[in-house]
Amino acid sequence: MNTLKGFARGIWGGKLLLTYTVLLSLTLFILMPFMIIFLKSVGKDWFGKRWFPPTLTLEWYEWAIEIVHLPDVMKNTLIIAALAVGMSTVIGIFSVWAFGRRHLPGKEILMAIILLPRMIPTITYALGIARIFYGLDLVNTHLGVALAHVAVCAPYSILILSATFEALDERVLEASAVCGANALRTFFFVTLPLIMPGILSSMIFTFSTSYNEFTLTLMTYGPDTMTLPTRTYLAVGEGYWEVTSAMSVIMVIPSLLILLFIQRQVKPEKLVGGFKGV
Amino acid sequence: MSEWMIELHEVSKRYGDLIANDRLSLHVKKGELITLLGPSGCGKTTAMRCITGQHRPDEGRVFIGGNDVTDVPTHKRDLGMVFQNFALFPHMTVYDNVDFPLMIRGLPKEQRRALVADALRLIRMEGLEQRSPRQLSGGQQQRVGLARALVYRPKVLLLDEPLSNLDAKLREEMRFEIKEVVTKLEMTAVYVTHDQAEALALSDRVAVMKDGRIQQIGTPRDIYETPRTLFVADFIGLSDFIQGNVLAIENDRARISIDGLQLRVNRTSDLTVGQAVTLFVRPNNLELLDAGAETGENVFEASISKMTYLGDTIDYRVILPNRQELRVQTDGQRRFEPGSEVLVRFPPDRCHLIAESE
Amino acid sequence: MVRSSVTVALEWRANMRGFFARRGAWLITLLLLLPAMASFFGLFFYPFMVTVVLSLRPEGEAVGWTLEHYMAFLSDPNSRNIVLLTFVLAIGATFFSIVLSVPLSLILRDKVKGHRFFRLIMMIPLVIPGLIGALGLLVLFGNRGWFNLFIRDFVPFVQGPVNINYTVPGLILFYVWLYFPYTFLTTLGTLEGLDPAIEEAARVSGADRWQVLRHIVLPLITPGILSGSVLTFMAAFGAFSIPLVAGGDHRPLSVEVYKQIDMFIPARWSRASATAVLMGAMQVIFLSLYMRFLKRETRS
Repeated sequence: MNTLKGFARGIWGGKLLLTYTVLLSLTLFILMPFMIIFLKSVGKDWFGKRWFPPTLTLEWYEWAIEIVHLPDVMKNTLIIAALAVGMSTVIGIFSVWAFGRRHLPGKEILMAIILLPRMIPTITYALGIARIFYGLDLVNTHLGVALAHVAVCAPYSILILSATFEALDERVLEASAVCGANALRTFFFVTLPLIMPGILSSMIFTFSTSYNEFTLTLMTYGPDTMTLPTRTYLAVGEGYWEVTSAMSVIMVIPSLLILLFIQRQVKPEKLVGGFKGV
Repeated sequence: MSEWMIELHEVSKRYGDLIANDRLSLHVKKGELITLLGPSGCGKTTAMRCITGQHRPDEGRVFIGGNDVTDVPTHKRDLGMVFQNFALFPHMTVYDNVDFPLMIRGLPKEQRRALVADALRLIRMEGLEQRSPRQLSGGQQQRVGLARALVYRPKVLLLDEPLSNLDAKLREEMRFEIKEVVTKLEMTAVYVTHDQAEALALSDRVAVMKDGRIQQIGTPRDIYETPRTLFVADFIGLSDFIQGNVLAIENDRARISIDGLQLRVNRTSDLTVGQAVTLFVRPNNLELLDAGAETGENVFEASISKMTYLGDTIDYRVILPNRQELRVQTDGQRRFEPGSEVLVRFPPDRCHLIAESE
Repeated sequence: MVRSSVTVALEWRANMRGFFARRGAWLITLLLLLPAMASFFGLFFYPFMVTVVLSLRPEGEAVGWTLEHYMAFLSDPNSRNIVLLTFVLAIGATFFSIVLSVPLSLILRDKVKGHRFFRLIMMIPLVIPGLIGALGLLVLFGNRGWFNLFIRDFVPFVQGPVNINYTVPGLILFYVWLYFPYTFLTTLGTLEGLDPAIEEAARVSGADRWQVLRHIVLPLITPGILSGSVLTFMAAFGAFSIPLVAGGDHRPLSVEVYKQIDMFIPARWSRASATAVLMGAMQVIFLSLYMRFLKRETRS
């Protein structure tokens, strides 16, 4: 035990070296899958046990665009995401407005119910959604896939927005009323500007959720509503690793942009913290 | 071993461009309670952190009990510390909190139990051993903090604004309690605060700090009655300041002129004729007389411009013939209405000259 | 006190007005909650019920009740392995996420040089489709991937390629890659929420860094870490895309559900539903037991 303690103290003493070893190896662990995918997407004749591809090419990107119809897939993904974001944000604003601005009994229970879809494996209700949407002819429509996404996006939106609303100081609104503004003016000139950052980050997060959603899409998509994750999955089955890599690279770029935005706008630690106790 | 328990030798500490401590020197005697007093940003907290070892000074040395501890880590300096926000360990009971330093020091169980019981008795917290800190009031929490800092009888006790988070009435009670405990145990203590009343009530000596340096150090009485700089005079208590020039020096008095008015006041040693000085006097040391009364030395005509009733005192704003406004506080036996003409008397023993002008 | 009839009348009127105002407010509240309720019932509750009903119907029929699908799953000797695998993956991923997160958060809390950059990197898996992460990891750890090249070129005494892909430890590794940020972020948040004065108090009391960590920091952050790890557990338990493409023969419950409708013709919807319902029940039961355990631990 004492040797162990001494060892731990020694490590603690040589802290800086250890710190950066840990940080850099973790960074590599996280980044290397992307690096190797990127190299695969621009490499040609990368067979056998080599560290790097012998020749570089953009061929696979052309394939991705022409054969896999990447632009169409991208368009579908964005339309679906836009619909899902729009619906979830409206749902989010309305319900958070009801939660925060009105005295509501049983608020905690209501919140727990709304967050329930996040606690149960998606596949359990994805099956039901698929069956219902088959019956309603919603499968293979943009609206249908987007609606399915709303099932997971709306709780997220409510969660983020309720954090914003709770931070809203009620006295500011009272001050506005005292200054003579009616409810409508108060909303447009005081409330809205104050909650705009929250709405924006809710939109970003729901966009990211919809953009990445795989399970629900798989249960409701069709040839006309192929999204990026489903297309990538099918491409894996088809065995074109290089083309799949090229698609993956294109697909990752928006996600990374979102990450940069999130990092600058909101503290994500706060958002994850919102799950606590759920 | 030297007579000093804590010595700071020319300690400097910078944060980027900001100089928190500027060649600060401080000597604390064994068994003395010294207060570092000053507005926020004056470097008092930095000075304390140099003593605890949370900061390493950029220049200068720190001695505790005669040993150079500049490069000794905090946990080996044998200190006790009381924090502004109590900083009790929330996952431990009162007993475990107080026991923690003893447990870390690996003392035998029996001895620990006795020491903890002693410490809790000292702060009158017996019977609450198994409470969690969350179940205690602010005052009780701070008493536990004090017990935790004292239980192992450290060489030095540090108190970092320990009463700032308590309400006014409790603060006054705790002041005496801390003073009592520290005196009883003959601890050497450094107390940091921005509250002058606290500093004056508690300390053996007060060090008034500004811009990372000590402006004046002395007994509370020295500091209050004979401040050596304008800052100290202004920071502690209420003061009136009047600019003037030295006319003549006569034995232990100096004659100064203020816009043609002549005053005779106590002399400070380092004055030369013609020098610009500031006269400083506490508002409750000035006397107001009826306009008809006999004039004499240090008595001037003035008019009352404002009167504020403060309960046990009355606060007047008085305009001198040179249009300077003075603040005068009286006990309210004799009342003057705003606009009325009065005489103001400057008692020579109560006026002090500071050899600097604003 | 004498109250004139006028005051009484005025009060009564004010009360009535308040009542009607409150009723109006109620109506508005209900209207505002309507979209959320519609989406909850239409997209979660009703589909969930459909899944439950489906699981009780004979395969391919719209009428009749049966428990045969549950019996089939429970009596299938393979089921035990599937359930076991799902829990091993989820608990393993949660455990290693915590092991990874604690030192990492301790390092990044100290605001070492470049800590912003490292924080950003650690959040990448949160915003990336799991599928792409799985693809990259498959290539990286494949027989011709960098990992095995590194072992061939730099690690002595290890013969041949090390198999990671399509093994259980490999899957856990992939899960950790994708889901550890949840645990990391909550751990970091808990650590940064600690009052620095508490650690200073321990230091001044004579505790060295190691003792502060052991007696003060770790006990204080444990409840936060454990409740944060619930997120990683939930994500890992329900994980679908990673085991689907990187699981090989190892199929946890989610993939098993999908297999029933993807690999059989005609699709076995009822069997799939029964499996999904059991999966949901298992997660809810496990989570509530865990939460209860957590609550008891933090209370004592």
